[in-house]
Amino acid sequence: MSSDFTTMNRRAFLRSTALLGATALGSSLVHIPFALATEFKPASGETVYFRGWQFRTDVVQNNVDTYNKAFEAKVDYATVTGDYPAVMEKALIANEQLDVLYANPSSAVRYNGGGWVLPASELPDGQEIADGMYPNIREAWSVDGKLLGLSYFVTTRGALHVFTKPYLAAGYTEEQLPTNWDALYDMVYALKEKGVATPILPHWFGEYFGISWGFVFEVMNRGGQVADPATHKPALTLDGPAGKTLAAWKKLWKSGLVPEEVFSYNEAGYIDAFRSGRYIFSPQQLYDLKTFNDKAQSGDVAGHVSLLPGKEQSWGLIDSALYVMTARKGRSDPLTDDVKKFVSWYGYKDENGKYAVASRWLKENMLFSAYKAVMESEEARTAVSTSLMRPEDYDRVLEVYSKTPYPKGIWNVVWSEEFNFWLREKLFAFLQQDLEAEAVINEANAKITELNERYKI
Amino acid sequence: MADTARSAPSPPPRTAEISTLSFALIISVPVLIFLLVVVAYPLAYAFYLSFHEIRFFGGYSATWNGLANYSKVFSDQSFWSSLGRTLRFTVETVILTLAVGLGLALILKHLPAKWRWLRALIILPWAVSPYGAGIFFTYLGRGQTGIGTAVAGWFGSDHTVNLISARFVVEYLAVGAAWNMAPLVAFFLLANMLTTPARLYDLAKIDQMSRLETFWHVTLPPLRFTLFVFSCITTVLAMKTFDYIFTATQGGPGGASAVLTYTLYKISFVNLDLGYGAAMSFFLLAVILGATGLLYLLWGRKEERQ
Repeated sequence: MSSDFTTMNRRAFLRSTALLGATALGSSLVHIPFALATEFKPASGETVYFRGWQFRTDVVQNNVDTYNKAFEAKVDYATVTGDYPAVMEKALIANEQLDVLYANPSSAVRYNGGGWVLPASELPDGQEIADGMYPNIREAWSVDGKLLGLSYFVTTRGALHVFTKPYLAAGYTEEQLPTNWDALYDMVYALKEKGVATPILPHWFGEYFGISWGFVFEVMNRGGQVADPATHKPALTLDGPAGKTLAAWKKLWKSGLVPEEVFSYNEAGYIDAFRSGRYIFSPQQLYDLKTFNDKAQSGDVAGHVSLLPGKEQSWGLIDSALYVMTARKGRSDPLTDDVKKFVSWYGYKDENGKYAVASRWLKENMLFSAYKAVMESEEARTAVSTSLMRPEDYDRVLEVYSKTPYPKGIWNVVWSEEFNFWLREKLFAFLQQDLEAEAVINEANAKITELNERYKI
Repeated sequence: MADTARSAPSPPPRTAEISTLSFALIISVPVLIFLLVVVAYPLAYAFYLSFHEIRFFGGYSATWNGLANYSKVFSDQSFWSSLGRTLRFTVETVILTLAVGLGLALILKHLPAKWRWLRALIILPWAVSPYGAGIFFTYLGRGQTGIGTAVAGWFGSDHTVNLISARFVVEYLAVGAAWNMAPLVAFFLLANMLTTPARLYDLAKIDQMSRLETFWHVTLPPLRFTLFVFSCITTVLAMKTFDYIFTATQGGPGGASAVLTYTLYKISFVNLDLGYGAAMSFFLLAVILGATGLLYLLWGRKEERQ
């Protein structure tokens, strides 16, 4: 025992205690981010391969660089061109160097069916992540109770955009905007009568998420289903929403109001067509409202693009994407841990406990997130409001977004992509070769039954 | 004299000259061996797949199903319609490529000296990848961005002109394929033309041949074998074209440009029905071999004899 201790007076004791307390407090404050930082630091020294489609690759690369720099990590990011779901599926079958990828939920379900996915539920904070999501999104992204990936974006594909300038010029008012699909088609023909050559740009483009998704969301917006969400059995009927959708499409096609070239558009062509100002109505991606109202990107329509109200019915469907981890064979356990660390940082919270990547997507591109904390923040309101034609459209955006359905019957099933491709071709043939609606519906139901049998569902 | 000749030292025996066939074998056998290794395994594996039903979901499995995949091809409507489009695209591409190539070669041959640098530039389209050509022709053909609308605009029309229409998309794609391939044909034909002796043209003038007669009797004969070779090459390339069409139209509008390679892609890589896709691919192989064989029988043998 030191003499100093025994001879310590009261003042010295208090001073020492205060110093110790401050040190302890300080170290505890510093300890939280330090612990988190340690959690994200890779240990294997190996490369994590991250692949995605081409969207704002500059932002993604910058995010990856931030992670690599902060944690001395080796994440290799690259984009994939072409038919993305098929290309990635081939890469997964071949057990290529692929650790993290973008996937739409339907693809993620299929990849999971092939045994190529490491579910997000297996992350150390998997339960916390799942709890932080909106329940409907979490359910859409889950199979057998397992969450397949982390939130990249959530949006409404097929939100009905309106270019208000020619609409108002035709003598109509905001109050007369259509509130359901039948009213929309009536308005299209009324505008035609008034001499508008191209009143609508339908969702009939050539991508895998083009015409087939257009059919699916119109059927759902009209209150129907393509297949039962639980059993995946076919649910299309001629006298129901599917029959009404096909009848409306055939009439529109035969009216000559839609140029055939729409069929060959890719997504960029489809967006370009609407922002050219030639069309009044078009089902578009909700986040593209920002693009259309940005003068730098859409000079012909900027400041004049709004949404049709969603009070009476939904518009579009939930279009979303996840960051999915692969279950690559032969990958070492330390590398798998690194993959989890990276995905957790990129798809959830960073070392400061912030949803850095998700917030950035929201701010820069109006990409919504599955995380309640991101969407319900004041930052989100500001980000969305500044992207709109006018601030009061914010409520309309939320109104449309909150009602958007998810086609679980055909997307949370392993044959999703096959059916989608088949449906795409059949719908083109329906219009171009003047097939009967009844035949198309019967064949679609038969196709779903055949796929269920083939995959023993 | 006879004695002198008899007593002269005899020249050393000449080594037998290597035959053309032997020379060809020497230079090509290593390549053939390499090709065999590279091609044989995938071909054999595809053959194996074609007799099986392959499943990836619920665990990988390959179930023997005999000739079922082959017989299914015959009853598959998409196969026949795709085959029809493939043949249409191929015939149009070959004719356009050879015609444009020949036309280009004639122009290049008669270029004045100060314009001969154009001969180097003309090869540029061939340097464009099929992927790039696909993107280029998409923008060129589309109503909202394309050349048709631009031309209409020059004449004061505000109508859009879409060249990627279901009615003639195959023809439009054939134009793009010919644009990509014709410069190479032109280069080879030009090389041939430049070896034709100038005196033949002088003789044609003496015989008072018309331009058409000169072309037919002097210019064309030395080109015929090159034209035959390129008709075979272009036939094969057109039949196996995929990336260009996939990029340009994705088999559309609708399924209007879904050629056999596109249908194969859909079956094999979207539906993951590898067994059936492999079986159908052998039909494509048979069509390619049949088409080139037919060309040889009808044209190649004749050229060889001459």
